[in-house]
Amino acid sequence: MFILPYSGIIIKLCRAYTNSQEDFEDYYQEVCLQIWRSKQNFREESAWSTWVYRISLNVCLTLLKKEKKNRNTLFVSDTPFVEANEVNNAFSDESLNLLYAAIKNLSEIDRAIIMLYLDEKAYKEIAEIIGTNPNNIGVRVKRIKTKLKTLLDGKIN
Amino acid sequence: MEKSIETIWNEGFLKNDALIAPKINNLYTQKSKHVIDKFKRMFKINLIAIVVFAFVILIVTSYNGLTIIGFTWFIILMGLAAVNKRLTSSMEQIAYHQNSYDYLVSFNQWLQKQMAINRKMACLYYPFFFLSMVIGFWFVDAEGVALGERLVGEILYGFPNTILVFGVPVIIIAMVLTIAAALALLGGKIYNLDVKLIYGNTFKKIEELIADLEELKK
Repeated sequence: MFILPYSGIIIKLCRAYTNSQEDFEDYYQEVCLQIWRSKQNFREESAWSTWVYRISLNVCLTLLKKEKKNRNTLFVSDTPFVEANEVNNAFSDESLNLLYAAIKNLSEIDRAIIMLYLDEKAYKEIAEIIGTNPNNIGVRVKRIKTKLKTLLDGKIN
Repeated sequence: MEKSIETIWNEGFLKNDALIAPKINNLYTQKSKHVIDKFKRMFKINLIAIVVFAFVILIVTSYNGLTIIGFTWFIILMGLAAVNKRLTSSMEQIAYHQNSYDYLVSFNQWLQKQMAINRKMACLYYPFFFLSMVIGFWFVDAEGVALGERLVGEILYGFPNTILVFGVPVIIIAMVLTIAAALALLGGKIYNLDVKLIYGNTFKKIEELIADLEELKK
């Protein structure tokens, strides 16, 4: 199937935008559905993985926006630090759970940028997916990493 | 030593449980409903477009002295819309009951049935479209004389030995009948092309979904 090789990308992204297993499964399903729906619009102007990332990101952000509207919550940056055990321990690796919890404290776009960076995407591709200038990405990644380090300070050995 | 973010990420995802995709329930249900709903919407829009086009062509041709063409096309198109409207009623009866596979298969059966009916009709209406155009232009006024009569006059002036049947050169009758016969023979194929152009992607998706579900059933 055309989604299967990229399920890793989708899982990582959906995890970063959800706080429960139930939400994660809903997001994952919606992303798969939207990728399938948009398959006919893929013009091969970019790599299929870039396309999958873009759709996954759009779906996650749209669902997040809908959820926010429904719950009438404050912006992520206004929320206190999300502790790993408060979210859900999705992985058996404790450090990864903590990292995810820290990532969830970033803004929506910063979350996408750092995950693309950690997935070893080139700055150019990250910029293409996010829709921004490649020159800004390097600086932004550096800033995000500093923020993550501060959030994780002392929590990981 | 404190681990870097990159190391945490890479090591974390090396563990087997980190990238287990959740079981997707209802994905095929959603897919099949989506693709069929899309087809239904397109089919209804297409029907409305046929009716609108029938009225437009009737009005436009009436203003240009081509009433025969406009009237014939109007009758044919309205007939086509009426038949397909009836087919829509049977389409609406196909509802999602138990599973995606049955839903898709029954919809596909309806699709094949309606296409077979339309294909047969296409073998009739394409020649009629053409004949109505020939007759329409034949009788259209060309400076006080019917265009057809004028054409016959020109032919007889150049070829005095031309054989006429009911005042029309045999060669013209033969040509018109040949084209009409070809359209009757190729009507089904023209219809297939037309349908493929409009609904091709949707048909492909339905076929892919059925194939997927059959594969999963094995």
